[in-house]
Amino acid sequence: MRIETLKLKNYRNYDNAEIEFSDTYNIIYGNNAQGKTNVIESIFLCATGRSHRTSRDSELLKYGSGFFEILLKYSKENADEEIHVLYSSDERKKISINEIPLKKIGGLMGHLNAVMFSPEDLLMIKQGPAERRRFMDMTLSQLRPSYFYDLQQYAKILFQRNNLLKNISTDKKLADTLEVWDHHLAKTGSRIMRSRKLFLSRLDTLSGLRHSRLTNNEESLKLNYSPSFEWQEIQDGDDLEEEFIKNIKKNRQKELLRGSTSIGPHRDDIDITLNGESTKIYASQGQQRTSVLSMKLAEIDLMKEETEESPVLLLDDVLSELDDRRKEYLLDNIEGIQAFITSTEKRFFTRSTENAKFFIVKQGKIKGE
Amino acid sequence: MSYFYAPPVARLIEEFEKLPGIGHKTAQRLAFHVLNLPAEKSEALANAIREAKLKTRYCSICSNLTESDPCNICSSAKRDHGLICIVEDPRDVVAMERIREFNGIYHVLHGVISPMDGIGPEDIKIKELLHRIREGDIREVILATDPDVEGEATAMYISKLLKPVGIRTTRIAHGIPVGGDLEYADEVTLAKALEGRREI
Repeated sequence: MRIETLKLKNYRNYDNAEIEFSDTYNIIYGNNAQGKTNVIESIFLCATGRSHRTSRDSELLKYGSGFFEILLKYSKENADEEIHVLYSSDERKKISINEIPLKKIGGLMGHLNAVMFSPEDLLMIKQGPAERRRFMDMTLSQLRPSYFYDLQQYAKILFQRNNLLKNISTDKKLADTLEVWDHHLAKTGSRIMRSRKLFLSRLDTLSGLRHSRLTNNEESLKLNYSPSFEWQEIQDGDDLEEEFIKNIKKNRQKELLRGSTSIGPHRDDIDITLNGESTKIYASQGQQRTSVLSMKLAEIDLMKEETEESPVLLLDDVLSELDDRRKEYLLDNIEGIQAFITSTEKRFFTRSTENAKFFIVKQGKIKGE
Repeated sequence: MSYFYAPPVARLIEEFEKLPGIGHKTAQRLAFHVLNLPAEKSEALANAIREAKLKTRYCSICSNLTESDPCNICSSAKRDHGLICIVEDPRDVVAMERIREFNGIYHVLHGVISPMDGIGPEDIKIKELLHRIREGDIREVILATDPDVEGEATAMYISKLLKPVGIRTTRIAHGIPVGGDLEYADEVTLAKALEGRREI
């Protein structure tokens, strides 16, 4: 996958920008607060339908203007495509692919695949399970549009079911509708759980491999799916769904008391361990960073396997935080992948790649060199 | 804003603005359109609104909107009264009638179960449905609620209630639109269609 050009209008601090990229490395450098990350963010938005920094589209609007626009042209194995995003302050954002408007954001998934690596990704290890679920969801949604749809459905069902659990305390008669929502939840929920389990077992293998190479076999990284209840694997769809319902019935009293749903994919987590010990508690800052790097490289590997095409790689301000060995390893291992790299300095990038292209960003203006 | 207008005009704009899908600008435009109409046309509009409300009611059998009770469909002898199609609202009846294939009768729920809006089974016409089934000679119930979260839950709930009664209960299929191209179907619809595939 190769991004060819990007046009921004009234996006964040850009009035108007038109950028032509290189097929290999694109180094976007400049001082702090000039708009480097905004470029990467706009690419990520075209891949996933949302920013990695905010869920509010209005924040992406340049101060004082009524609309913003992104036009991104890219080529795939067998086709050229363009993604157009238009947002105006009194309407919802509209996305079209090759000038055909999408009816749902979900339709965007799987067109432009991107892997983002930014300092915020460290939160995946440092913070709670929500960050780790987001990681799974972002990748899986890009790979499988129906996964994204299931997630949206699940969120709705969960919201309805939680409301019902609260309503039952004032109106006991409603209790006989609960079973319907149990089944609804279990059906969609077990599809999500099965996808995540499969995804993590593959990612575990790939990131383990990456990590032992990154650390000269000194550390072993393990990723384990940690669902809200255990179940026995896997012949066909039914056993997980049944197990789901069994568990939800076990928790009936507790759920009615609390007014919220106690099990399901919204309570999933990933156990990330280094040499058998929790990375969150025992790993150093550097080890945590390396672990995330391994997971991101594995994410690229997996996307390549699934789609037979390399995703584009977005590196937001991470190279400066890695030591030389890890930096070199990273750059060695993304050869053949189009990368977008932001940094405060030009110097950090020392390789002599003929096709690398440098862009300087200054106060919302970007210029190729 | 509308207090700059003469009070009757302001009132009209306000009333339009209360309608679904109408904002302030559209409300103003509609109000001025009405003001510019000849007297008999604006009279006709007012009458149409009044009569739609006064002369229609819910059919005592199927709960559809009707002028006569029971409604034309429920009182028709040509219809198969053993076959009930359950829909969310009167517009769905119109959609079903347009196909001219369905020869059964209807039951309009006037809503779906939605805990977040505080709507439970008591708030829609499920009691009436059960009553019909107990009284009448019904062979099959077709669940034609929307294929969204709430419609699906409502269909599941009704089928659960009907199970002990032993009536054949079916759910309409969803998937690829007929006459549409497979390649243009969105991923989710296609995945659903695959899930609901049948032997031929």
